[in-house]
Amino acid sequence: MNKTTSIVNSICPFCGVGCGIGLTTQHNNVIAVQPLRNHPISQGQLCAKGWNTTFGINPADRVTHPLIKRDGVFHKASWDEALNFVATKLKYYISQYGSHAVGVVSSARATNEDNYAAQKFARAVLKTNNIDHCARICHSPSVAGLKQTLGSGAMTNSVEDVDHADVILVIGADPTENHAILGGRIMRAKLNGAKLIVIDPRVTRLAQVADLHLQINIGSNIALLNGLVNIILQNRWHDADFLLSRCEGLESLEAQVANYPLKDVAKMTGVSEKALIAAAKLYSHAKAAFLAYGMGITQFISGTNNVIAVSNLALVCGQIGRPGTGINPLRGQNNVQGACDMGCLPNVYPDYQSATDTGVIEKFSKAWQTSVATKPGLTSLGMSNQARKGNFHGQLIFGEDPVVTDPDQNKVAAGIRALDLLVVVELSMTETAKLADVVLPAANFAEKEGTFTNCERRVQLVRQAILPPFEAKADWQILAALADKMGMAEQMCWRDSEQIFDEMAALTHSFSGMNYALLDKNYGLQWPCNADHPFGSHCLHQDSFPIGKARLIPVEQTLTAEKPDSQYPFWLTTHRLHYHYGCGSMTRQSPVLERETPDGLLFMHPQDAHDLGLKDHQPVGVKSRRGYLETRIIFSEQVAPGLVSMPYHFKETPSNQLTNDAMDLTTEMPELKACAVSIEALNAERQPEAFTQRYIHYE
Amino acid sequence: MLQLTPRSIRIVDSYEDGQNAKHVTFEPIDFIHEQPVRIGQFFMLSVPGAGLAPFTYTSLPDSKGRFVALIRKVGKLTKAIYALKQGAVLGYNGPYGQGWPIEMLANKEVLIVAGGCGIAPLAATIDHLIEIGRAGNTTLIYGAKDRPSQVLSRERRNWQNKILVHDTFMQTNDADKSGTPTQHIENVLAESDRHPQIVLTCGPEAMMRSVAITCHRLLISSDKIWLSLEKRMRCGIGLCGHCYLANELVCKQGPTYRYDKLLELENKTTVFHKHTGLYQYC
Amino acid sequence: MNEQRFILDNIMSLKRHLLKRFDVYQITADRQGEKSWQVSEADEVLPLFGPKNLPLVSLKRFFFAENEAIYSFNGNTFSPIKPKIEPRAIFGVQACDLTAISYQDTFFKDDPYYQARRQQTLLVGIDCNSPCEKGFCHEMNAGPHVDSAHADLILSQFSDLQNTAVSSTETAKGAWLLIAATEKGRDSLQGLVLQNAPENWPELRQQLKQQVVAKFADFSYIKSSTEIINKGQVPAKLWEELSVRCLACSGCTNLCPTCSCYSSYEQYDSESNQTTTRRIWDSCQFEGFQREASNHNPSQLAAQRTERFWFHKFSNAYLPEFGRYGCVGCGRCEQTCAGSIGVHSVMKRINQVCCN
Repeated sequence: MNKTTSIVNSICPFCGVGCGIGLTTQHNNVIAVQPLRNHPISQGQLCAKGWNTTFGINPADRVTHPLIKRDGVFHKASWDEALNFVATKLKYYISQYGSHAVGVVSSARATNEDNYAAQKFARAVLKTNNIDHCARICHSPSVAGLKQTLGSGAMTNSVEDVDHADVILVIGADPTENHAILGGRIMRAKLNGAKLIVIDPRVTRLAQVADLHLQINIGSNIALLNGLVNIILQNRWHDADFLLSRCEGLESLEAQVANYPLKDVAKMTGVSEKALIAAAKLYSHAKAAFLAYGMGITQFISGTNNVIAVSNLALVCGQIGRPGTGINPLRGQNNVQGACDMGCLPNVYPDYQSATDTGVIEKFSKAWQTSVATKPGLTSLGMSNQARKGNFHGQLIFGEDPVVTDPDQNKVAAGIRALDLLVVVELSMTETAKLADVVLPAANFAEKEGTFTNCERRVQLVRQAILPPFEAKADWQILAALADKMGMAEQMCWRDSEQIFDEMAALTHSFSGMNYALLDKNYGLQWPCNADHPFGSHCLHQDSFPIGKARLIPVEQTLTAEKPDSQYPFWLTTHRLHYHYGCGSMTRQSPVLERETPDGLLFMHPQDAHDLGLKDHQPVGVKSRRGYLETRIIFSEQVAPGLVSMPYHFKETPSNQLTNDAMDLTTEMPELKACAVSIEALNAERQPEAFTQRYIHYE
Repeated sequence: MLQLTPRSIRIVDSYEDGQNAKHVTFEPIDFIHEQPVRIGQFFMLSVPGAGLAPFTYTSLPDSKGRFVALIRKVGKLTKAIYALKQGAVLGYNGPYGQGWPIEMLANKEVLIVAGGCGIAPLAATIDHLIEIGRAGNTTLIYGAKDRPSQVLSRERRNWQNKILVHDTFMQTNDADKSGTPTQHIENVLAESDRHPQIVLTCGPEAMMRSVAITCHRLLISSDKIWLSLEKRMRCGIGLCGHCYLANELVCKQGPTYRYDKLLELENKTTVFHKHTGLYQYC
Repeated sequence: MNEQRFILDNIMSLKRHLLKRFDVYQITADRQGEKSWQVSEADEVLPLFGPKNLPLVSLKRFFFAENEAIYSFNGNTFSPIKPKIEPRAIFGVQACDLTAISYQDTFFKDDPYYQARRQQTLLVGIDCNSPCEKGFCHEMNAGPHVDSAHADLILSQFSDLQNTAVSSTETAKGAWLLIAATEKGRDSLQGLVLQNAPENWPELRQQLKQQVVAKFADFSYIKSSTEIINKGQVPAKLWEELSVRCLACSGCTNLCPTCSCYSSYEQYDSESNQTTTRRIWDSCQFEGFQREASNHNPSQLAAQRTERFWFHKFSNAYLPEFGRYGCVGCGRCEQTCAGSIGVHSVMKRINQVCCN
């Protein structure tokens, strides 16, 4: 603390909860962080990740200059040189193969303004809808599923609603570790008298404190949810008025869930009949029931149907459209909501305006004063697949590390290798960046202005605390400069991020009532915020749904793509640790958080370990049909016998070597939550070998 | 004021001494110890690039200030030291902590029970007892996994015909030596007709506790049993807080503890029954 | 030294005087209403003080920095990196935080980095004239009024004084009693023309304190739970129940003004070939805090770590060393604990379980 110290209030850059964080700066360094007492969500709290933000902001290994790879080695380049290089190549691929041969993967970590610029760059400059971001592997099924049932894919209610619920139902989410401040709020609500039901194959922290924990067999979500709906309808516990006035499709749903009788459901899910009835009764009888779910719903080949099943349950009980209720997907990344909202998806423009609707195309073409993409676009996996087939040549990736975080790393790496041009815009030299042809230095959240949208649709101001190091720039500035090199200077010429926000707000309905001044005054605003909702929207769907009546859609229980067998006898699921985030590129810079990494990363029930003759901390090799890695086992009663789990943050032990890339057909969401593995003991004296990229086989 | 900045020392000699262990001799660079080091004290070693950790003096500084530590490869830091060559410069802070109750040993029958590398902080004690003519009243029971993993080979050779030494091994065909050192205490004492009046023990915590319990059963009162604790430390001078034990800091009030005092300290907080710990890592 | 007491008509005259010789830090509020200690060079900005303005982040970081370089190594020698601190006055510190600083002064009395900062600092305390939202300083003998041993200068405002029998009440209203409690405090006033305070003003201050104390809510559960903790009567099961709710965020230890644990790490700079060792705040609530290289961990269970925090704050075992408990009743842990196991929640729960 000295005279040069100042504090800038911003938003925590980790998960989608969107806590307020005060950045203490000194000599252009963030030296400390502090919680903000008046922030409506965090209320003076931060999680371990938030408290360690400084290490993520000031890592020693920042990329500081544009880098161009020549003969396998990166060389420093000027911005002009690097952007000319990229622009020339992009123009060449477009002229040779067409616009569909290039694309952009934007970042759920970047600001709304960066994301708006990314999709505009793709659509207006590259003339392609090949624009995506990582929501593909977290909540694309939420968007797809809830779009069908409600007409809108976002969290229907707000974090604050946890306090107003008398029943809280958490399915396939571990919020005390992944969304800690929201998880803590759920625990507080429970202490204050709310009943808590947790549905999860693992004994999460919330499961420990819950009134009811339904420890389901992995992959039996739909059976369970259909079973609950069946119990509710049979007992006449449903909300008849709500169903009549607000929903359609009850008859077909009722007929279909009748195929899920209690006994069968108990057998399929591994949950006792008594517990199923108790959960159905609690949830349906609640005055207000808050339903939250996470990637334990979405990361399955039946991800979209899982979400629909969740929606069915909430609708049948009328637990939506009122304070304290709602269907609330917990978003993983700080701005994954915003990246979706801004249209960094191949099928929609900002505010979910259809990319194939001629009216929309015309509207944006006119506003941007140029022709825009007309053909359907590719998802990130689609781009990767097309690259391996030789049909996709140039890609820009912003702040993502798919080589570590995407399923079946070997395939992803092969896709990346097949590209003629990979441009990675990054803070540090990630595994993906190492494979790039050009690496451009990005500014982090503390080094730029902009907005993040948290899981409850709250658009919050991110304030610049320090200057970017050396040559680093905000994504939108890089995109604007690149557009200039490609001869489209006017389309992407902005003074500052506020001007981008205003441009975006003018082209959307949900954001039309927002501007920076209002966001500053209100600690953010929740969309839709417009003439109808000048103070934003705390709770969606109060009077009607965007599609009029909500749809009840029957869905069938689907088996996971892979099941344990004699060769691969264990279920493997993935999870996260409270201390780490994503691929660990920020949190692992903190010496304290890095120390908290256990020395083993495979969590196994002591019974299974006993059967295999394994000791706690024993080195093991873990193998699936796709890959192999080594770690130590940790005894844990969090997992049931037969199930092992592994966090995915660690590049030395990348769980995605093992996970399955079989995907949900609607959204291409890979089945990260369940695959089959075998486990073999290694010599107790031996150190498990850290995984290195050289093990990746290229096709 | 306390000194947090280390002073420089260099490695003057090192050799493999047992499995995954090295016998390392250090020499001060441009400083002398202002205060004599007491037997059983420890020092903080800073390894640039790898961090810092406490180590015990296997032999105290000689006239040139040279002293010895035994380094066993367990974590990142010890691996780094292990890889260093002669002449490497490291950081040194110390001596710290309370040593063994050396004055009390002068006229007593002494039993020393050591496990694995736990013999390192006791070596200087044994040397001292030999030096003051108490070799005939000193018994050492030294346990190791097997013969190759025994450490301090040169020191032990020197003790061999002077004090009573009984080696034990976890893995051996020799029934006479098989098991933990604790299991041998009673026999060794009976066969040699020794009646220790004071016990010093160092090794894995579970071993030290079983030694203490056994000795207590053999009617050695718990205020005559001394243990040396190993704790994670970041400073060695009572500031960083890592080595807390109830209201004490092991670096200041320890690392050597009288068994009865240790029990008294541990009784200040709750005893939990250990299970696998659902939330151990969350 | 004997206290010297003066009348101060205007608090700003003192600030203006201090600005001549010190960097003056005071509590300020930002646009979102967040309070923090900031340097204030402008002599017209009134310091915020009192119970409504206690910053969430205490003054601890002014002396025990959250992240500081302590020494560097050039390949041959290690050199200390001394903090360079200008003389500074911290203006308007609440009694609880001053008590905490005094506690830290004892703990860090031989720490060169702490003391380098501490010695350059003049502490100006202001009595709190009402209880704050989560505070129970009176219960912990740490407020609401400033202890003479804890500050260099002490200010007490009489405007809140209720009717009393003391005849000079009227003249005292609105004025400030300024106490120079230390040599350093008296020196800092040199050049400021001040009138001695009337004889009975300490008595008035005492009355004022009684009035404030009477306004505190009933915190008897703190005392009773402290006794239960010290008798070792908290069941293991209760620690386990509480510990399940600990997310190990480190918020309690970071915000606690008396927590002092730290860790260290190194930074290598290839250009200068220097390795700098830095120390950073650490937390006993982390699983790895005591874990040894061998994986042995004396505080492996969350329950042990949860108990640890409360033992450190409320155990009689620390009284000989510090003369008081480690808790100063500021209530920050209650505010920042995501698991609802801050001081009020825990002490209430202990009281509830163990007294029924």
